[in-house]
Amino acid sequence: MRLNTQYGHSHPLTALDPRVKLLSALALLVMVISSRGFAFPLLVAGLSLALCLGMGVPLRVIAVRFAEPHFIAFMVVFLKLFFSGHVPLFSFSLFGLDLIGHRDGLLEGLLIASRIAGAVSAMALLGFATSFTELMAALAWLKVPRGFIEVALFAWRYLFVLFDDAQVIYCTQKNRLGYVGYRRGLRSFGTLAGALIIKAFDSSQSITTAMVQRGYDGTMPLLKHKPFRGAEVALSMTFIFCMGVIWNI
Amino acid sequence: MQKIITTIILLAVATPAHAMHISEGILPFNWAALWFAVAVPFVALGVKRLNALAKDDLSFKPLVGLMAAVVFIISCMPVPVPTAGTCSHPCGTGVAAILVGPFVSILITAVALLIQALFLSHGGLTTWGADIVSMGVVGSFAGWFAFRGLRMAGASLGVAGFAAGLMTDWATYFTTSVELASGIRGDAPFWPLFWKILIAFIPTQLPLGILEGAMTAGMVVLLYKKRPDLLVKMRVLKAEEVAA
Repeated sequence: MRLNTQYGHSHPLTALDPRVKLLSALALLVMVISSRGFAFPLLVAGLSLALCLGMGVPLRVIAVRFAEPHFIAFMVVFLKLFFSGHVPLFSFSLFGLDLIGHRDGLLEGLLIASRIAGAVSAMALLGFATSFTELMAALAWLKVPRGFIEVALFAWRYLFVLFDDAQVIYCTQKNRLGYVGYRRGLRSFGTLAGALIIKAFDSSQSITTAMVQRGYDGTMPLLKHKPFRGAEVALSMTFIFCMGVIWNI
Repeated sequence: MQKIITTIILLAVATPAHAMHISEGILPFNWAALWFAVAVPFVALGVKRLNALAKDDLSFKPLVGLMAAVVFIISCMPVPVPTAGTCSHPCGTGVAAILVGPFVSILITAVALLIQALFLSHGGLTTWGADIVSMGVVGSFAGWFAFRGLRMAGASLGVAGFAAGLMTDWATYFTTSVELASGIRGDAPFWPLFWKILIAFIPTQLPLGILEGAMTAGMVVLLYKKRPDLLVKMRVLKAEEVAA
């Protein structure tokens, strides 16, 4: 598992206040999913991808990240082309079945596909330009409940520790032919999941003991935000306003 | 004949991986907002339950955080699906529902989905509500009711665990089909598209449900054999059941 975290540490976008980035991304997402044409989502996709490349995100990372959403986009276009719409565009015969592609179905499918491309690109840009801790602090500022934020921070902190443990167990099982055949593979996978749960329980006890010794009283400290910088807010508002105008055309 | 061939084509082009997550941008604004509004009260109840339990036990929040990490890892693990000839991924929410109850399990799912959306592009922020409803709300409650119901009826831990995993997976897949069909249908009628999506999910999700059931059963039985005290602590078993 490779989690694509922050890139481009010296890029101006990375230095931007995480609250400004989060609000701008949310505004863009709303505009993308409520757009009525292909142009706006594709513009957002192009802009976001250009910024990702500008931040130094390797093309391979972008390709891997976009593989699944784009496959889903392809599936949606396929479903809408052949199983939706009324105006025939083309037809062909496959194993005796007459398949008819519909023009209006294709257009609807392409609209959804463009929205997927735009929204995924905007989210990827946010993920590449912001660290998880900053995002959580921004969500806390947006009044997302503290309990949720704390659980997310614990999950993020111990995700990598547990993943390393899972990899060690998996490799050991594999070396002992634990995944030869479906039946044995399933038993091994169940054991792996159970072992992870046991590790999670035991770790939670030791983590709590260590944290209580350091003053933990049931609440986690979060990043403190600096005051908003006027230039950043003005720039992002101008950007959102311009995008809003383009969206409305 | 035409319907049979259509079904075969739909089965052949089924989405192989991460089929439980609705991709970012796929739902139009009104549907995204609706599913988000449905999900919010459940997540809020999850947070309320978490805070209530954390008052008595300081280790509960770290435990729920670590459970969220486990659910994240389990839902990223490739499981071979024989009928599709590919790998897919279990939900993991049934396990969480059995151990910490359905409401905290919804919270765990929401956290795991948020991390997957932000850093893996599995699911998304605009479809976060819909994904929470299908995987978190419906999946957790289906798994929890199946497990508790069968245990009350006298079923063994393994059988109840299997049913919980199976029901979690299939209920999630059914709800995802409803959400997708209602979101992408446009002017077309709901039911034909719903059935087509449901059929398209069959090659991966039908066997995957069985695999997830087997995995959940194996995991619960392992916990019973190795660490029954944990099952007692999480109120899955009573102390006298372990002693017996």
